[in-house]
Amino acid sequence: MTGSTLLRADGLTKVFGSGHTAVRAVDGVDLAVGAGELVLVMGPSGSGKTTLLSMLGGLLRPSQGRITIGDVEITAVPRRELTRIRRDSIGFVFQTFNLLESLDALENVEIALNVAGVKGAEAERRARELLVDAGLEARLRFRATKLSGGERQRVAIARALANEPHLLLADEPTANLDSRHGMEVMQVLRDLATRHDKAAVVVSHDPRLEEIADRVLQLEDGRLVPGSTAAAASTGRWETPP
Amino acid sequence: MVPLATRNLLAEKGRFAMSVAGVAFAVLLVLVVVSLYRGWSDVGRFYEKLPGDLWLSQPATSDPYHSSSFVPLALGKRAAQIEGVESVVPVYARHIAFDRGGTAFDIFTMAIGTPSGAYALKPGQIDIDRVLAGDAGVGVGDRLELAGRSFVVVRTHTGGNSMFQTAFMSAADARTLSGLADRASFLLVSLEAGADAATVSQRLQDALPALEVHTSREFADAFASRVNAGFLAVVGVLVGIGFVVGGAVIALTTYTATVERSREFGVLKAIGASGRFLYGIVLRQSLVVGAVGAALGVAASAAVANLVKRDVPEFITVLTLRDAVAVFVLALATAVVASYVPVRRIERIDPAEVFRP
Repeated sequence: MTGSTLLRADGLTKVFGSGHTAVRAVDGVDLAVGAGELVLVMGPSGSGKTTLLSMLGGLLRPSQGRITIGDVEITAVPRRELTRIRRDSIGFVFQTFNLLESLDALENVEIALNVAGVKGAEAERRARELLVDAGLEARLRFRATKLSGGERQRVAIARALANEPHLLLADEPTANLDSRHGMEVMQVLRDLATRHDKAAVVVSHDPRLEEIADRVLQLEDGRLVPGSTAAAASTGRWETPP
Repeated sequence: MVPLATRNLLAEKGRFAMSVAGVAFAVLLVLVVVSLYRGWSDVGRFYEKLPGDLWLSQPATSDPYHSSSFVPLALGKRAAQIEGVESVVPVYARHIAFDRGGTAFDIFTMAIGTPSGAYALKPGQIDIDRVLAGDAGVGVGDRLELAGRSFVVVRTHTGGNSMFQTAFMSAADARTLSGLADRASFLLVSLEAGADAATVSQRLQDALPALEVHTSREFADAFASRVNAGFLAVVGVLVGIGFVVGGAVIALTTYTATVERSREFGVLKAIGASGRFLYGIVLRQSLVVGAVGAALGVAASAAVANLVKRDVPEFITVLTLRDAVAVFVLALATAVVASYVPVRRIERIDPAEVFRP
């Protein structure tokens, strides 16, 4: 890893259902991601990628195991505290962008700041800066539905960064984008990790993402495939996870 | 703050317009019922417009319209001698039923034995309520047969409604029609300028213990309380229905807008929006629908009240600013209550759903 461990998961397990119908979606995953590191989790559909991401993001309680973000064990905090951690420490990027359709690009970023208590001119100023950085200066007042797929994903990334989180979690961020826009988004994610020292976990089917990842983890049937972490990224900035 | 609540509502402009119209109609229903009720209650205020300050009646009299009273005329002379009393005149009051053109009417007649002024009518003259004039098809100059006597309509006045109308006649005619020789229904006392009504009232009560002293306002209040006893329950039910309908419209609108946007609420939950933040959005949605609908409803009620006053005078409507403000505030309170259902819906949204494509 390039920096201090920012995200750590130990023995992470999620079982849905019980008895004969119980399904172990994630089974004993250990993971550590450092600041400035981008980890790609790959695997076939149904391998548990999204369940793993949901747990890492504090959206789903694991059946067993621990998750620590920074110094906080998020698996041990109450729900209200978890909401605050998601707001302040985690940025989410979704496959389907999940922008609020009735709002324009600027407002979609601004509302993330509102959620954190930043309002008025300050929220607008910060949202504007993020979108200008994302190359969307000419699209600030475009409704989400009027933006291209690539533009929407860049708005979504700007929203994810609004509250300056340490950890970025991205779910299939290029799945709904064509090759050119997919590449743009990949580059943005890479830059965020490198230049802004964010820890990023990206789950995807897209092999193109391997080019930007520091480490590639293979998930099958809820388990990390032994040795998969040795799939080195082009940057060469990786370490063997715990 | 990003105006997400209004954006969500205006995203479906047709539905928003229908919701606002629904609330407006509910508020209109409530205010029309309330203003009709006010009109009814205030009918008795005509006692306060009569030329006198205190009334002397038999004991246990509520008001001239709802109870009978017989007072010896001789007591009027004694009352006139009380300090602070300027004059005392007899008042005759009774209901008279009559038929005109095959239609039965019931009219409350009064005669005030004042020697001059608007109520000093000559024998054979009658001043009738405009609603009665319209219903009976008579106007100024026409003749009206009452209890075997013929009267000429010399004037009409307002203040009556579809169920209550007054007519004023001369004291001589009233005495003949009532068959009272040495008695009147009431004695109406006018006070000297500057005299204190409460003090004079007490003096009259002390001097004439066989009689009861009332102010005109007490009679008006007694009339209103009779109306309240008969109508308040009905008014309450109709007002309640109005608020339930209005609340249901707001709840349904906000609920639908919430359900349609449940994924977006899930996204907000995922990125760390607190329950308070999300409930605030729902609450603002409810309040916008409630406030816009209530404002339109109040405006429509004022227009309807004016139209009714002009075209259907028998339905007296009194729309007060206080009632309008109260209904507006209650509509907002209903909007707050109505947001409960969509808030519960938000509570059930699983933020992890946002990862599903």
